[in-house]
Amino acid sequence: MSDSHISPYSLNDLKNTTDDALGNYLRGLHFKQDNSKLDFRLAIGYTAVVIAAVTFVADYKLGWDATKNGTAVAVAAYAVLNGVFTYWLYFVEKGLIFEGNREGRKISLASRTKKHTPTYFLTVTSSSNQSRELECPFTTWFTEDGYFVAKPFQQWLASTVDVIGGADVKSVGKSEAESSVVPEAESNGTPSASGADAKSKGTKRSKKKG
Amino acid sequence: MFSSIASLQPRQLAAQVLNFALVLSTAFMLWKGLSVFTNSSSPIVVVLSGSMEPAFERGDLLFLWNRGMDTQVGEIVVYNVRGKDIPIVHRVVRRFGGGSAPLQLLTKGDNNAADDTELYARGQDYLERSKDVVGSVVGYVPFVGYVTILLSEYPWLKTAMLGFMALTVVLQRE
Repeated sequence: MSDSHISPYSLNDLKNTTDDALGNYLRGLHFKQDNSKLDFRLAIGYTAVVIAAVTFVADYKLGWDATKNGTAVAVAAYAVLNGVFTYWLYFVEKGLIFEGNREGRKISLASRTKKHTPTYFLTVTSSSNQSRELECPFTTWFTEDGYFVAKPFQQWLASTVDVIGGADVKSVGKSEAESSVVPEAESNGTPSASGADAKSKGTKRSKKKG
Repeated sequence: MFSSIASLQPRQLAAQVLNFALVLSTAFMLWKGLSVFTNSSSPIVVVLSGSMEPAFERGDLLFLWNRGMDTQVGEIVVYNVRGKDIPIVHRVVRRFGGGSAPLQLLTKGDNNAADDTELYARGQDYLERSKDVVGSVVGYVPFVGYVTILLSEYPWLKTAMLGFMALTVVLQRE
């Protein structure tokens, strides 16, 4: 159990804590994290900030008249970079929280929440580029007081995502969580056998007192 | 409160700091963009004195446009006194030159008894339209500028506001 706790009513805190835990769990299983998308966003963002900073210093030192034309160019460049930044954040990253690979198998995880619904929606994209969206109520791994419990979370992940199940065999098949698999792809890919079993064995898990 | 960022990976911390940096730089670049668009070094100014009453009162926010180079008598302009950093907003009462000769202006506050000859720098009898004028007033919003007056009279307010903004943006993860 973690020492710190969050408000179990804040959907934002629930999602962020779960996202962080997922990252820590996968890195602990020796998944090699691919940060290229985040790095690109950071590069674009900090370049824009540097352009703004240079414009500020030039204007402060040289005054308005001397820097007029340079400022016009800088403003245009900043607008373009900001546009690229926003596009990247909303359309390319799109809720991505972990991307990496282990033993040649790639995995990409994106998460989201729906307003007023205490459910964690996780979109899993495997090496074959097929996505499926999993959902699980936050009550599965959060206590009533807002403490995060790692074990049920890891069991749910290992049971429903076969790449993770392959890495953490101990946690597979023990999940009692009520989780459902909502396939997004038209064709039926290769759903994990353990995932289907966990679904059929699923019992309703009530709130666990911390 | 700070535990939420203490446990972050370095890249995520960099992303949070970037969010705050982008708030500041976007605000600054919007201001500079407006400057470029209006061709004025300070496209929005606050009235500091009552020399233009009843037209403008202290605390009014004025919007400037500096692309009309043929300023007419009766237009209200904002100008900087040569050598000083104080912008003054007064009305044009006389024109000299224009056309091929450089345009020169004499100004006077509506609420003042005398014209601005006393206010200009020593040896200066008129304003050069191209050099001294920041822009002509094209619109205004009453009273809103008082926030700026407060911020300049109590500079600690600026630091406090900025510090509060920094805290909320960096600690918030949405």
